[in-house]
Amino acid sequence: MLDVQDIVTAYGKIEALKGVSLAAAEGRITCLLGPNGAGKTTLMYSIAGVLKPRRGAIRLGGVDITGQSPSAIVARGLALVPENRLVFPQMTVAENLEAGAYQRRDAAEVAVDIERMYARFPRLKERRTQLAGTLSGGEQQMLAVARALMSRPRILLMDEPSLGLAPLIVEEIFRIVGELNKDGVTIFLVEQNVHMALKVAHHFYLMEQGRVTFSGEPGKLAEDEVIQRAYLGTSRQASSHKTG
Amino acid sequence: MDTYVITVLSNIGMISFVALSAYILLLSGQISFGQQAYFGIGAYTAGIATVMWQWPIAVALVLGALAASAAAGLVGLATLRLSGIYFAMATLAFAEIMRIAAELFVYRREIGGIETGPDGIDGFRDIRYFFANDISPFQSCLIVYALLAAVLASLFIVERTRGGRLLRQVGEDPLLAEVQGIDVMRVRMAAALSAGAVAGLGGGLYAHLMTYVEPRSFDIMLGVHALAYGLIGGLGTALGPLLGVLIDIGLLESTRIFRGYRMIVFGGLVAVLLIVRPRGLLDEVAINRIRQALRRRRRAGG
Amino acid sequence: MAPVDLAQNTLDGLMIGSSYALLAIGFTLIFGVMRRLNLAYGPTIMAGVYLGTAAFISFGAPSLVVLAIVIIGASLVGLYVERLCFRPFGEAARTASMVASFALWMQIEEAAMHMLPQHMNPFPPLLAAPPLEIGPLMLRADHLIMLAATLLLAGAVTYLLARTKLGLAIRAVIDQPRAAAIVGIHVERIMMLTFVLASAIGGFAGFLIAATDAQVTAMMGMWATTKGLVAMMLGGLGSVRGAIAGGLLLGVLEAHAQWFLGPQVRDMVAWGLLFVILAFWPGGLMGAKALDRTMAVGRRV
Repeated sequence: MLDVQDIVTAYGKIEALKGVSLAAAEGRITCLLGPNGAGKTTLMYSIAGVLKPRRGAIRLGGVDITGQSPSAIVARGLALVPENRLVFPQMTVAENLEAGAYQRRDAAEVAVDIERMYARFPRLKERRTQLAGTLSGGEQQMLAVARALMSRPRILLMDEPSLGLAPLIVEEIFRIVGELNKDGVTIFLVEQNVHMALKVAHHFYLMEQGRVTFSGEPGKLAEDEVIQRAYLGTSRQASSHKTG
Repeated sequence: MDTYVITVLSNIGMISFVALSAYILLLSGQISFGQQAYFGIGAYTAGIATVMWQWPIAVALVLGALAASAAAGLVGLATLRLSGIYFAMATLAFAEIMRIAAELFVYRREIGGIETGPDGIDGFRDIRYFFANDISPFQSCLIVYALLAAVLASLFIVERTRGGRLLRQVGEDPLLAEVQGIDVMRVRMAAALSAGAVAGLGGGLYAHLMTYVEPRSFDIMLGVHALAYGLIGGLGTALGPLLGVLIDIGLLESTRIFRGYRMIVFGGLVAVLLIVRPRGLLDEVAINRIRQALRRRRRAGG
Repeated sequence: MAPVDLAQNTLDGLMIGSSYALLAIGFTLIFGVMRRLNLAYGPTIMAGVYLGTAAFISFGAPSLVVLAIVIIGASLVGLYVERLCFRPFGEAARTASMVASFALWMQIEEAAMHMLPQHMNPFPPLLAAPPLEIGPLMLRADHLIMLAATLLLAGAVTYLLARTKLGLAIRAVIDQPRAAAIVGIHVERIMMLTFVLASAIGGFAGFLIAATDAQVTAMMGMWATTKGLVAMMLGGLGSVRGAIAGGLLLGVLEAHAQWFLGPQVRDMVAWGLLFVILAFWPGGLMGAKALDRTMAVGRRV
């Protein structure tokens, strides 16, 4: 469903993505792992339209979306749960959800979906009139996911949903990821938590320094090696950084 | 030399002081809408010194610069923690307070049989030191440029030393500078004090060349113009603000080509220019290129 | 001071303060979505008012037509400012766009002066009626109308922001622009609409003020800018409610200052209060929340 080909995205003179190619199959969970600074968030933003790639092509469901505006890409059925959640802090939980449905015209159905979100995320229902900025990290993550789901996307991009969250909450997040996928949502997930990511992924990629360095199914590579490369880079680099 | 040309040149010289004053603060990362206050403090102080207390001009100018600098320091204590729009508004507030205070400030004395001194909203007339001491307009223009050159020289020296680097570092990214151990407040205070002094010096000269100043001369227009000159001429070098002044006063006002439409033309030009060059004509990139070109030529020649 | 004077001054202050509140709302909306000051806002209003004045003087246009011209004129000029000074500039060039807006301030003011060279011009009055007397207090009917109109408009703006989809989008862009883009809001379009809306509100405010004075002077641009800025800062940046509170407070303070200290000191009180607040409570009346958000704004000049 999502097809990324040879994307080059740069900040000024610095190329953060040096030609990235990958794909997310429909109905599956695809993971992208890699150390900090590898360019994972840059890739997410490039796909979502927040950043414009210098070269390369991105296709969503066969349609070229390279360089289009975020609002056009959302209209095509993509939703992003961004790094650091980026909820609307001065708006209530309910308003955040409404904002997620911004492009939809079916008000009645939107209201139904909001109730569905409350059913799936009971803690959000409790806090629905609270300002999103006052929520805990885990609750904000739920809200960010729910907000993204409000647009009824065909594909859900998630950028490091487990970042900074307690293990119990992380498990809950991944449980939800599994559930969503069973309901038919295609998921493209960027993660630092290798263990949890490999448990849910149908396919995964490793990214280092702006390039994809591995593509395969969980099990193809020993988990230890994946962890090493996801946190420290390729074995060669890791051994030069090992302290003991 | 034609008196008109001398007048224009003198104006350019004096306004350059305020422009440089705003520029110094811009380098440190602060937008000030209020440097005109220090220009005014310098003007009034220097004027009072020569007219009311009969002090020599050199002393008066120094006093004006010091008074302005002191005021800048006090204001800085209250405001330098602020940044962005908050700092800008605080500087504007202070400048307006000073301007209105000048409208109420009356200090009259009889000097040589005539009553003189600041007279509230009617301003401060008869600052005739230059006239009384036979200093011609041409000579006073020279004095302006001599002092301006001194200020520029100091700024160039500072740019090349550690101080200049610190200043730009603080301006670029205060958080990063703080993390690197730089005392951001001290750098900002130093910038504020020197900016105040430069504006004050310019003000003192202004008072004596114009022989008459009024509170209206030091309004928000002057302040925002001062800021604009640096942004137009470029923030890469101390010559940038001067270029801005030259373009506005030198080219447009004086050539009278666009009489009556000057601001329409200038305003539009500035807006368009800033789109293309947000850091001005002589911005850091341009200055770098010029420096490299000069270096190459020097290497080729010698 | 007798309680009657206290009440009268407060009343007068609230009246004039309501116009300050409208100005402040406009500044706040623009600052909220753009994160920078629009220094051409006051002149934008003045341009609209001048267009209406020209229609009044040249064709004897009736008040409602003048009102329409003022609002449309201000909106169009606002659009011009937005295109030139704000649309082309990104996050990294905030100062440049502010200075560009100042350049347009000069440009618009000069153009306005060409339109109406006189320093003072007549303007269709709001109401030609004797002042009302409520007990010992005097109340000008047209001031009352201005207050009522202001409250209505402020209410309308608040309703727009709180209960409509457009308002949600505007608040989203003010709150967290990147997230707004991510949920599919067309951020640039919203910024433009907000800008034009703010200019229209400003035009309305300008009309009210000119109509209660029955005249328009060349100082209007400067006046609107300074009053609007101070009122906005008093109320705390980025909050429409704060803008209203700030405007009313400014009006009341000025009225009392004028009574006690004379008209000259009146303006100094506003600036002095602003300075003190900035030095000690930069968040203004509405507190530090707005401050935290905008502190991040203050990084690279």
